[in-house]
Amino acid sequence: MKNWIDLLYVIDFISVGILLSAVVLNTLKRLESCIKAYIFNSWLLSILVFFVAIKTGNLHLYIAAFLTLATKGILIPMFLSKIVRQMKVTRTVEPYLSNSLSLTISGILVTIVYTSLREGILVTGFSVHVLKISIAVALIGLFIMITRRKAITQVLGLLFMENGLFLAGFSLTFGMPIIIELGILFDMLMGVIILGVFIVQIRRNFSSVDLDSLTTLKG
Amino acid sequence: MENLQFIIIIIFSPLIQGIIRKFKAGLQGRVGAGILQPYYDIIRLLKKEMVLSTVTSWIFKITPYIVFISTIVAAMMVPVITTKITTKSSFSIMGDVIALIYIFALGKCFMALAALDAGTAFGGEGSSREMIVSILVEPMIMLCIFTTAIAAGSTNLARIAEQGYIFTPSHVLALFAFMVAVVADTGRIPVDNPDTHLELTMIHEGMLLEYSGKYLALMEWSHYMKQMLLFTLAVDMFFPVGIAHNIEPSSLIVSSGVYSLKILFMAGMMAIIESTRAKMRFFQLPSLLGGSFVLAVLSLLTFIMIGK
Repeated sequence: MKNWIDLLYVIDFISVGILLSAVVLNTLKRLESCIKAYIFNSWLLSILVFFVAIKTGNLHLYIAAFLTLATKGILIPMFLSKIVRQMKVTRTVEPYLSNSLSLTISGILVTIVYTSLREGILVTGFSVHVLKISIAVALIGLFIMITRRKAITQVLGLLFMENGLFLAGFSLTFGMPIIIELGILFDMLMGVIILGVFIVQIRRNFSSVDLDSLTTLKG
Repeated sequence: MENLQFIIIIIFSPLIQGIIRKFKAGLQGRVGAGILQPYYDIIRLLKKEMVLSTVTSWIFKITPYIVFISTIVAAMMVPVITTKITTKSSFSIMGDVIALIYIFALGKCFMALAALDAGTAFGGEGSSREMIVSILVEPMIMLCIFTTAIAAGSTNLARIAEQGYIFTPSHVLALFAFMVAVVADTGRIPVDNPDTHLELTMIHEGMLLEYSGKYLALMEWSHYMKQMLLFTLAVDMFFPVGIAHNIEPSSLIVSSGVYSLKILFMAGMMAIIESTRAKMRFFQLPSLLGGSFVLAVLSLLTFIMIGK
């Protein structure tokens, strides 16, 4: 089993898939497909943790894989799609930048990460490449947070960033102790729920989720 | 002997076109023409009388020959069933994949010139569209090729094909980008509709509109050959399993069997893509092609950083 993982470069494939699903987010035009990209990203993340767990045989990694799947792969996407359905948010994403421009910029971000980490830093984790990819994913998430108009896509950017940071921490340290992992995941869940409530309130007060309307002063 | 394998491409390329059409007809619930129909078309066109516009110059008359011959020269550089060709043959000085892409570009350039030469509106439209598409497609193809070339340590196609078993993240990314490039370059559906002469949509057909008879046969045939060559290129770069490394009859037979299976697979893929996708508006094309260009860049980056 362990040899099999090495032979097929499973970990490399999964990490490239994680990067790809973050890059693809720039081109998607519908909110549902953005959420699907997030589901895909989170499932790949938990599969990656699962494979590393098989390779190292740590029990707490198995638990981390399961928790990631349960919260990021199932609960949060369910909640987000419920918001999209119930709040009748218009389903198209309206970025400030055009699709091809934001795609190019995220390509440039990946290049910057790759070139600046070319020498590599001392890694005690399982893979240097995964660290680079995770930082690239976090940067793309940040970029999406900056350039999107709607509250819900900004939340998605935040979630992608969190996935990237989780992967970075994981690749450097083989995962944090389980209690910290639990705390972070619980925080995430609460954060997303609170942001969801915010989105609902914004929609109720301004009859749109476009955050641009918050910048005009009233009175 | 091994230098004659380009004849396979010349002979069988209309058959591949017929097979793709048959697959498409099957997927769309039609009976469709027989798989030999492109041969009949070519033979029929070769017998027909030619009509030449009086305003055309020598460029119009020389273009079919240049396109046909440049495609054959390109076919000579590609290992089809054995990789021995470009390493030992007299074409080894030019048997390089970058030269191959630019020999394609030569044919494309003359085709665009000839379309302008006849002076019709559709010809100009077709050639300007074709040039825009190829501006976007060519760097993409080059990047995909660079990924595989760095992996093989050579830009010689035979060396790339000698790699054997290749399955790495960067190759998978490059394969996706290359498939988009093949679809765009062979004028298939998300980019161009090969079955229509509707003036709003046509790209490749627009350039051939003024040709008739023997010249049209040559142009169509070289288009089929280019399509099969691109499939062969994809097969050589991404699934080189089973290709013969020598010219012993036994390994050649195995290799031809494997090769025909791989090409049939590519033809089936094309038919599925064409039947499940809708034709894109022309001005949406840059976003599709730009997306796969980023994919190609990522594949190169992934290769450089991950090292496989």
